[in-house]
Amino acid sequence: MTGFFEANREILLFTGLTAVKIAVFLGAVMGFTALLTLAERKVSALMQDRIGPNRASVFGFAFNGLFQPAADGIKMILKEDFMPERAEKLFFTLAPFFALVPALALFAVMPFGDYVMVFGCRVQLQIAELPLGLFFVLALSGLAIYGVILGGWASKSNFALLGAMRGAAQMVSCEVVLGLTLVGLMMIYGSAGLQNMVRSQGGLLFGFLPAWGVVYQPFAFILFLTAAIAENKRGPFDLVEGESEIIGYFMEYSSMRFAAFMFAEFVEIVLVAMLAATLFFGGWQVPYLYETGFLFPGGAQLPLNHYLVSAMQVGAFAAKTVFFSWFLLTVRWTLPRFRFDQLMGLCWKALLPLALLNILITGAVMKLPL
Amino acid sequence: MISVKKVDNKPLNLLERVYLLEIARGIAVTAGHFFRNLINPEGMPTVQYPEQRIPLPGNARLRTRHRLKIRADGSPKCVACFLCRTACPACCIHIEAAEYPENTVEKYPAVFDIDLSRCVVCGMCVEACPEDAIAMDTNELPGGALARPDMMLTKETLLRDIPSTGDPSVKGASNRLANEYLKTRGEQ
Repeated sequence: MTGFFEANREILLFTGLTAVKIAVFLGAVMGFTALLTLAERKVSALMQDRIGPNRASVFGFAFNGLFQPAADGIKMILKEDFMPERAEKLFFTLAPFFALVPALALFAVMPFGDYVMVFGCRVQLQIAELPLGLFFVLALSGLAIYGVILGGWASKSNFALLGAMRGAAQMVSCEVVLGLTLVGLMMIYGSAGLQNMVRSQGGLLFGFLPAWGVVYQPFAFILFLTAAIAENKRGPFDLVEGESEIIGYFMEYSSMRFAAFMFAEFVEIVLVAMLAATLFFGGWQVPYLYETGFLFPGGAQLPLNHYLVSAMQVGAFAAKTVFFSWFLLTVRWTLPRFRFDQLMGLCWKALLPLALLNILITGAVMKLPL
Repeated sequence: MISVKKVDNKPLNLLERVYLLEIARGIAVTAGHFFRNLINPEGMPTVQYPEQRIPLPGNARLRTRHRLKIRADGSPKCVACFLCRTACPACCIHIEAAEYPENTVEKYPAVFDIDLSRCVVCGMCVEACPEDAIAMDTNELPGGALARPDMMLTKETLLRDIPSTGDPSVKGASNRLANEYLKTRGEQ
């Protein structure tokens, strides 16, 4: 038995570490997503001078609505699981999985910290260290279209089918812009691995400015955020669902199947927030914080313990994610919804040429003898 | 004739068509409200309704839960004429008329039910009543209930005086006329 462990030490260690990382990171993400469903309602309420949900309580303790996600979940489970008589049973069942699984799989490439030493063993704080992580992100987020199309088509309802067509057209056109906005970043960092991209954002520009992606590519950041929100089907581009008037692809879904679609949407909010933080705002980088501690531009130093540094870096990543999640919620509750033709016009006539222009200018500047 | 209002929408200028500045301004407004309410939740106008109530204005335009007025002798002013039932757009009033045994010319409601779960609080029953027998001045808001029967107001719950309003619960006009009529018939 010991011989088996000795012989397969490498692979066993890798499997165990990865399993732990998946459990911790995905657990944190799922918990945060559940809280985000509450945050969406609370943020929108506070914006509109309302209080928001605060009645769901356990033994009389409501904690200002903290149990609302649990109450929502229990309610969803208890709802009737309806399926239209003529629906394609297999694909109807499969569609929510297609919406949820790619979104969750994307967290595998998110670097949530640099590395941490555990019992003398260097543990990378990223589940899968893919050298082409960015392409993995783009490929899997493209897969989410299948959830929309299958959901609309398999429910054999004209409204749902039209909603699915709308959704698919929107996601495809925004996918193109999303990919192109990131080309400039890949050119600057010379890498498509997310961890490498974060590491190259660790330096300083002009000696004091953190060399974050948004400093190099502020224009690409705006394009990316717009395209990512549209890809995410969130307001102002939430015409895919438009519950009250144009009805979306999950019209025939109820109970936990519907909840899976909704949950996928919230997971994608976290995803977009993490991507924005990783690509443009330095990921886990804290300004002036290096492996050994703080080193301020004036020359002042503050040496810190390795574990403290790691904790601060993971905390910085979490804080950035929370901020961008809040920002996406704020945008959703601030702006009115785009019409379908306006969205298509924006994507193809405005964002796409601007993204191409951004690549051109980035390339030209990089070739300049500076 | 439908009146058409023509709206002159100004074409957006370049800065507005780029959206970004306007979006930033919109977010500044909503984020301002968000943080103001986050820091000072007491400042919000919202009230935790069933536990916490705003005092009602109590003016003549206020329409609250119904009541049936009563005369000095305790009998209902209502003569079961069915006018309120006819006027009710929600069909929520149910009346069954009966006669006084000693008074053959005047009716009274044996049953008078108002289904609050259907009532739209329009006040038309009050307008329609020729006897000024029904009023909506109790200052009680028709609240929700867990079962439909709880929303049913019966004659017993409707019949009540509000002494504080100083409403003279005198003998109604029809009562007086009926008594006079009976008196004249007795004289014959």
